[in-house]
Amino acid sequence: MRYLVGIGNYMMGDDGIGPRIVEYVADHRLNSDFEVLDLGDNGLNLLSYFDQTTDRMLWVDCVRMGCQPGEFRYFKPEQVESQKYLARRTTHEGDLLKVLEIAQAAGYAIPEIEIMGIEPEQVQQGQGLSEPVAKLFKTYVDEAIRRISSG
Amino acid sequence: MSSTPAGKNIKIDVHHLTRVEGHGNILVNITNGKIERCDWQVPESPRFFEAMVRGRHYSEVARIVSRICGICSVGHTLASVKATEAALGIEISLQSRKLRTLLKHAENIDSHIVHVLFLAAPDLLGAPSVFPLVATHGEVVKRALRLKRFAHEFGSLIGGRTTHPTRVVPGGFSEHPTTPQLTELKRRFLTDVVPDLNAVLELVTQLAPKFPAFNRPTEYMAVHSDSEYGLYDGVIQTVMPDGTKQKYSVDDYRSYTNEYVDPRSTAKYAKNKMDSYMAGALARFNNNYDQLHPEARKVAEQLGFKPPCFNPYLNSVAQVVEIVHSAYESLRLLDELIAAGIKEEPLVKPTKFGAGASVVEVPRGILFHWYQYNSAFDCEAGDCIIPTNQNHANIQLDFDKLVPEMLRADKNEKEMELALEMLVRAYDPCISCSTHYLDVQFKR
Repeated sequence: MRYLVGIGNYMMGDDGIGPRIVEYVADHRLNSDFEVLDLGDNGLNLLSYFDQTTDRMLWVDCVRMGCQPGEFRYFKPEQVESQKYLARRTTHEGDLLKVLEIAQAAGYAIPEIEIMGIEPEQVQQGQGLSEPVAKLFKTYVDEAIRRISSG
Repeated sequence: MSSTPAGKNIKIDVHHLTRVEGHGNILVNITNGKIERCDWQVPESPRFFEAMVRGRHYSEVARIVSRICGICSVGHTLASVKATEAALGIEISLQSRKLRTLLKHAENIDSHIVHVLFLAAPDLLGAPSVFPLVATHGEVVKRALRLKRFAHEFGSLIGGRTTHPTRVVPGGFSEHPTTPQLTELKRRFLTDVVPDLNAVLELVTQLAPKFPAFNRPTEYMAVHSDSEYGLYDGVIQTVMPDGTKQKYSVDDYRSYTNEYVDPRSTAKYAKNKMDSYMAGALARFNNNYDQLHPEARKVAEQLGFKPPCFNPYLNSVAQVVEIVHSAYESLRLLDELIAAGIKEEPLVKPTKFGAGASVVEVPRGILFHWYQYNSAFDCEAGDCIIPTNQNHANIQLDFDKLVPEMLRADKNEKEMELALEMLVRAYDPCISCSTHYLDVQFKR
């Protein structure tokens, strides 16, 4: 099975981009050959999908990576270092990279994972997306579907 | 405020406390033995959910408010559909009620496992986070992860999914689990959950003496029902430090929560008879000990844990007792549902319009929702009072007692900081601004 995974806080501006994308895909039934997962703030729930039945995952997440706001980039977890970890500023389970770290340490079967990182303009309280992120919303949806469906 | 020993200078400034959901600050300033400042600050801004539901059809409201919290979205969904049903005169079936109670137990197990094992236990084991524990306590961490995973799958089976559940709607369930699915769930409970739970209990028993000794009697508020532990439904009940209990009607919840604003926090504070009250697992334990499943009471006795307990640090122990309660109550409900067989039921339709309030217990405490609907069943007004905010005043008053006590005991800055951090974490606060975005640097 392939999964399109969204994580983030819907109420914290661009942090909610992941859940909004998977919600859009689910509402419009755009997923014919993959499942969608809205993890909200509960990243540890990802563990339920780390087993032999999962072939691939695409995580759609808000990522500070030094790009222009709204820009997106694909990468694999092993290509990056979490700056949150280096700064020891983890809250709760931290982020999906921390969940991955603990899953690996605990011996879970890790599927092929790719991250679609979307650079935020703002991560602060407010229900809407910032303008640079909002105007590319449909592009993200189309790209995410294409990426998880291909290959 | 002042205290001894004179001459002591302490400055604690914990900006964005870790291992809680969201942002909270701890500020303590002691100069020359005099406490000048001792604050629990919660800098959050209003999110206007109450405004967002206005004009929405009753069938849409729960989905909107489930976004209040990505951790307790089951609780918010249940509180929302219950308030809507109260407003619109909808009586759900016994089967729906049992399925919703099961979902509540799934949420309780899921959230408590994460709090006790991943957020609170590292403090007691001297670790900065759960990650070093994989090396030192790998088996327990694995078992905790399995329990967390099971709880998520359990909740997903009943609610469609655990984060923002889709099947729970006003009038019942839009889709039902099947009897064979529930039978399989019961099998997993017996073969997987019970052994893992016993291993976790063993660890907690070892850690129990390490919880700080601190007592501050306060008022404890929880949902109460004579027939269950008061998670899904009941009346409001408080127990005072002298053990007297008083019941209140859910419809009058505003009179007993009395939200107000304090300059130290942008989140609202709450109080009833005393200057603050506590909500959460310890409040439930103090109110509803008699309704605990016998297996959970047995665990409480083994831990030497009995009501009334005035030590807020032991909220985590109350959560452990509740995990056992929820596991065994789930087994009981599963037996009943399997014996009766799951029946497909149509959604119950509104019979009136007007206003309605509801109360449920979410992992962090008592949660209130209220809505008013017009004759077209569109929402005209809403109100939500969440448990984390109800606890802020109580945390502040704990600080006000604990800091002078620690000063008198000649604790150093580091010890004080850890004790205050652990205290806040014990309440398992879920502050609205939590985020989990990635902050990365590409490897060269």
